[in-house]
Amino acid sequence: MSALLEVDNLNVSMRNGSGRLVPVIENLSFAVAPAQTLALVGESGCGKSMTALALMRLLPEDFVITSGRIVLEGRDVLTLPAKQMRSLRGSAMSMIFQEPMTALNPLFTVGDQIGEVLRWHQGLDRAAARSRAIALLRAVQIPAAEQRIDAYPHQLSGGMRQRVMIAMALAGRPKLLIADEPTTALDVTVQAQIFDLLAELQRSTGTAILLITHDLGAVAELADEMLVLYAGRCIEAGASEAIVTAPRHPYTRGLLNCVPHLAVGGPPQPWVDLGEIPGMVPPLGARGADCAFLARCAQACDVCRAKPQPTLEPIAPGHAVSCWRKTELAA
Amino acid sequence: MTIETSSPMAAPQIDLSAPAAVPPWRLALRQFMKSPSGVAGAGMLLLIILVAVIGPSLYPVDPLDLVGAPFMPPDADAWFGTDYLGRDVLAGLIHGGRATLAVGAVAALITIAIGLVIGAVSGFFGGAIDAIMVKITEFFQILPPLLFAMVLVTLFGPKLTTITLAIGGVSWTSVARLTRAEFLRLRDLDFVKASRAAGASSANLILRVLLPNALPAVIVSATLAIGVAILFEGGLSFLGLGDPNVMSWGLMLGQNRNYILDAWWAVMFPGAAIFLAVLAISLVGDGLNDAINPRLRRRS
Repeated sequence: MSALLEVDNLNVSMRNGSGRLVPVIENLSFAVAPAQTLALVGESGCGKSMTALALMRLLPEDFVITSGRIVLEGRDVLTLPAKQMRSLRGSAMSMIFQEPMTALNPLFTVGDQIGEVLRWHQGLDRAAARSRAIALLRAVQIPAAEQRIDAYPHQLSGGMRQRVMIAMALAGRPKLLIADEPTTALDVTVQAQIFDLLAELQRSTGTAILLITHDLGAVAELADEMLVLYAGRCIEAGASEAIVTAPRHPYTRGLLNCVPHLAVGGPPQPWVDLGEIPGMVPPLGARGADCAFLARCAQACDVCRAKPQPTLEPIAPGHAVSCWRKTELAA
Repeated sequence: MTIETSSPMAAPQIDLSAPAAVPPWRLALRQFMKSPSGVAGAGMLLLIILVAVIGPSLYPVDPLDLVGAPFMPPDADAWFGTDYLGRDVLAGLIHGGRATLAVGAVAALITIAIGLVIGAVSGFFGGAIDAIMVKITEFFQILPPLLFAMVLVTLFGPKLTTITLAIGGVSWTSVARLTRAEFLRLRDLDFVKASRAAGASSANLILRVLLPNALPAVIVSATLAIGVAILFEGGLSFLGLGDPNVMSWGLMLGQNRNYILDAWWAVMFPGAAIFLAVLAISLVGDGLNDAINPRLRRRS
C-alpha cells in the first residue's frame, strides 16, 4: 500500500541568538498509510510538536527545515508555493491543538468558525455551511447541536471545545489529521471520550491520524504504529503493539514504566514505586554525536560511550531501534 | 392524624439547550451601562450631537450674518450676545457645532484608518516591512503635530477639508503603534495558529481573526482621537488657520480672542462648548475602557 504521507530524512534547526543553526529534529523518516494512526511519543522538548508544525509548514520564524522531504499524496509539501500550501492546510491535512480553551477565536460563534473553514475549502454558501456545521457538530457528538452552533467558545466546556476543534479540523475532509496532544488539557474521563471519538471518526471518514501524545495508554489502544522520539531523534519505531508489549530501547522502557497500572480486585498490592527516568532531555545545542540518551541510560556501557548515536536498525519485522545494546537487552 | 408522605420526587429536568448566546459586544455594552461617567458622557455627547443636527433648523439664523451691533452683551434679542462683527453668538454655537463635530469625526476616522492599516501591516508581516513601517511611524511621531498641521494648512490653504486631512494626517501614530502592539501580541496565540492551520489566508487572518481581537484596545484611543481632533481644530483656528467661510467653535474662539476683556461672551461660550464636547468624549472613552477590560467585567 502506498503511503499517504512520507517524511524522508527531515532535519529541522533553530537559529539561535548568535545566528548559529542548532538541530531540533535530526534525520526523521516515517510514513503514514491512509486510514492508519501513527503515534509520535516522547517527553516534552523532544520535537514532537515541531514535527507537526514542519508538516504544516507553520514552524515559528526562527525555525528552518534544513533538509529532507515531506510528501503528501505524491506532492512535495516543502516545494509548494505558499498559496497552494495554504489551500492544503485545513483540506488535505488539518490539525487539532493541545489547548482547546485558547484555540478558538473568542469573538465568533462556533458555527461561524466551522462555517468559515467550509466556505474557504468547499465554497459552500452561508446557509449550506451552517447546516453542514450542524451535521459536523453532531458527528463529534455535541448534544443539542442546533443550539450550540450559536454558542460562543466561552460558553462551552473544555471537552466541548475540543470537540468543536475536531469538527473544525474535519470540516475540510482532510486525508491527514494531526492531533497534537489533543487530550493533555482535559479531564481523564473526557480524555477517553475524545480518544473514542477520534477512533470512531477515523472509521467513518477514513482519515489518517498523526497522534502526538505522551499518553502511552492511548497509543496502545489507538495507534497502529508508533515512533518514539528522544531529543529530536527517532530511537524506536514499529507496530505500537509490539513496542508497548516488548520495548527494546531503554528510553521506551523507562517511558512505559512511568505509566501507573491499576489492578482492580485481588489482594492489595504492596506499594511499588513508579519508574522514573532520572535527568532530563538535553537542551537544544547540547546534543552531540553521542547517543542522546547516554547520560540518563542505566544500561549504558563502554560501547555506548565510545560510539556515536547508532542508526535506526530493524530488530524484528516492522520494529526498528536505535541502540548499541539492542540485541543484548532483548530479553 | 396522618403523617403526610412526601410526594415522590419529580424527575430532574435536564436542560439540554445551550445557554442563550450573548455576543461579546453585548457584554461590553452591559458593562458600559454600569459606568456612571461613561453614561453621563454618552448623554452629553448625544445632546451636543442632537443640537448640532437639528438645532440649525430650529434656530435658522445665519451665523455669518450681521444681526446687530458688535459686542452686544447677552440679552433678550441675542441670548448669547454678538461678536466683534455683530454676528449672533448663539447661531455660531449651534451652526458651528456641525463643522466642529464633523471635522472631529472625519479627522478621527482618517486617523483610525491610517493607524489601523499601518499598524496591522506592520504587526502582521513583521520583518523588513515592519522595520520600514516603524521608521515611518517614528518619523511622524517626532514632528510636533500642531506645528506640522499648521505647515500643511498654510501650504494647502485654510479650507475645512484641508484642515480635516491635516489633522488626520498628523495624529495617527498612536493608533498605529497600538494596533501593531496588539497584532504582535495576538499573532502567536493559539487561535491564530489554529486559523492558520485551517487554511486561512493573510486577508482572512487580518480581517477576521486579528483585527476584531485587536479592536477593543484600539477603540478607546480611537474615541479619544475625536476629542483630540476637535482640540486641534480649535487650536488651528485660534492661531488664525481656520476656514473663515465656515463657522466653527474654533473660528469663533480665534476671531474674538483679542476682545476677551471687552466681550467675554464671544469667547467663553465657544470655549465652553469645546470643553464640554471634549469632556463628553473623554468620559465615553473612560466608560469604554472599563467596558472592554475583562478584569473589571469579571468582578461585577
